[in-house]
Amino acid sequence: MQRSLWKKLKKYKTFYILFMPIALYFLIFTYFPFLKGLVMSFQENRLIGNRPFAGVENYSLVIQDPDFLASIKNSLIIGIWDMVLYFILSLLFAIILNELLNKTLKKTVQTIAYLPYLFSWAVIGGVWALIFDIQGLANQFLSLFNVDPIFFLAQPYLARPLIIAMGVWRSMGYFALLYTVAIVNIDSQLYEAARIDGASRMVQIRSIILPSLAPTMKTILVLLSIGVLTHFDEIFIMVNPANRRQIGTLLLYVFETGIINFKTGTASAGATLVMAGTLIFTAIIRKLIKYDKD
Amino acid sequence: MAKKLGTQDRLPLPIQALYIVVILFVVALMGLPMLNVLAVSFSTIAKSDAPGLILFPNPPSFEGYTFIWSFVNLAQPFFTTVYVSVVGTFFHVLMASLAGYILTQRDLPLRKILTSFILLTMTVPNELTMIGIYAVNRDLGLLNTYTGLIVNGMISGFSVFLMRNYFQGIPLSLAESARIDGATELTIFSKIYLRLSIPGLMTIGTLELIRRWNNITLVVTLISDMKKWTLPVVLRSILFEQTSTSGTSYIFANAKMAAVVLTAIPLVVLYFFTQTFFTSGVMIGAIKG
Repeated sequence: MQRSLWKKLKKYKTFYILFMPIALYFLIFTYFPFLKGLVMSFQENRLIGNRPFAGVENYSLVIQDPDFLASIKNSLIIGIWDMVLYFILSLLFAIILNELLNKTLKKTVQTIAYLPYLFSWAVIGGVWALIFDIQGLANQFLSLFNVDPIFFLAQPYLARPLIIAMGVWRSMGYFALLYTVAIVNIDSQLYEAARIDGASRMVQIRSIILPSLAPTMKTILVLLSIGVLTHFDEIFIMVNPANRRQIGTLLLYVFETGIINFKTGTASAGATLVMAGTLIFTAIIRKLIKYDKD
Repeated sequence: MAKKLGTQDRLPLPIQALYIVVILFVVALMGLPMLNVLAVSFSTIAKSDAPGLILFPNPPSFEGYTFIWSFVNLAQPFFTTVYVSVVGTFFHVLMASLAGYILTQRDLPLRKILTSFILLTMTVPNELTMIGIYAVNRDLGLLNTYTGLIVNGMISGFSVFLMRNYFQGIPLSLAESARIDGATELTIFSKIYLRLSIPGLMTIGTLELIRRWNNITLVVTLISDMKKWTLPVVLRSILFEQTSTSGTSYIFANAKMAAVVLTAIPLVVLYFFTQTFFTSGVMIGAIKG
């Protein structure tokens, strides 16, 4: 008895030793940066030496900074449009794709739509640079209707739509794939029953497929709501002096303030506010869709 | 499965027609730009710079590729990216599966605390701790080093739980009997658990490789030295900041698109090789958040 207990303890000792590097990693590279950011948001902007505490000065600085306020607006517009469009367009696409009876064709269309999700935002930026060039695909298309060529990427009024469209182009196939898997998993007996009741295909879509997708829709909405205020990569790639005022998001502000201009205190205060904003936003979405009820 | 479909299982004809139009539209919207990029990358300088839509290179040419690879030296960031992605992914898979294995031990005291400890790391998106990550890496001397790019993201809660769930499908009796035969924990881990979990390992490996290859946020947070940039960041300056990368020479559209293709193609190839693992990973990723 005692022997086995001793043996057991010894066995566990190995596990704790094995867990040490893992714990160390998370402490140094996840927990500590989080806390450090929080602490820095209450400290003066200093690169070296000890940073005296500055109370909430950074926060009051940040919320009075017109650049920060503009980036809140940009983040909300780009983030919410992306969220809504990803959600609806991929749902529609998945439902329509499901009606394709030819398996090979279905798979091919799905793969083409999915492919951009594998690409880095820089690659998507390259695609955009080419098709929205003055001689690009978009202008070629418009010339069919006798529209004069537009210099798309230099038009401030087109900056947000183009960034939002970039996101949709990259992510629609991915989210459609999530819906497709849920559709494939629908119990075929439900269709059988509907058939016996004489339900047409349209009725089947409305009363079987859509309700069955409700849990997937909720998961995707929560997933998307976490990302609303954290758009960074595509902005970093596409931002230029002509579109900065339209597409400069919160995280671009944090990045430029903290890492380019070394105002770590101000940037951390901004990041902390974004964190709080994300928490509030996800909480609202969760509440609205009754995510935690079931 | 293959039930005969009656007329009632088909949509009314006008709607069917509408659906086909929508699908063709989406295929064109997704496919044409990709085809355009590919065709321009294989075109000659003269062709790629002339007006007119190119969907097929005529005449085909590697000019753009040789220019961007040797003259602009895309080779260097390409191999940098291969190095940090592959090495980083290797350690990531190893560490995540080790953590997953530890959390699989049902009777391990404090297991719940260890689980929550890892679970908690998944609540805050990485981008939001950018400044803290910068500061910590600076203090550790990891700024502008490849080690920094490899070490950050060495393990993630997502991969740990994916592996733990995978390991939970392996009967405990296998490990028990190996223990009776005197096998050490590390032997059991590597000879039984890892060997029986190849699809799971492939899933987190593929997802991590893609994540690392495409990573922008971490690279621009840690690396300010242009010579150490990875492909996506270099690609950005090739596309939008002519002067800083190539010095005096102008980069033509065919070379720019060659850079785009070279950044994207390794992942497309990887995708077609690991497709089955990949889709399963995508599913789990979505469910777990």
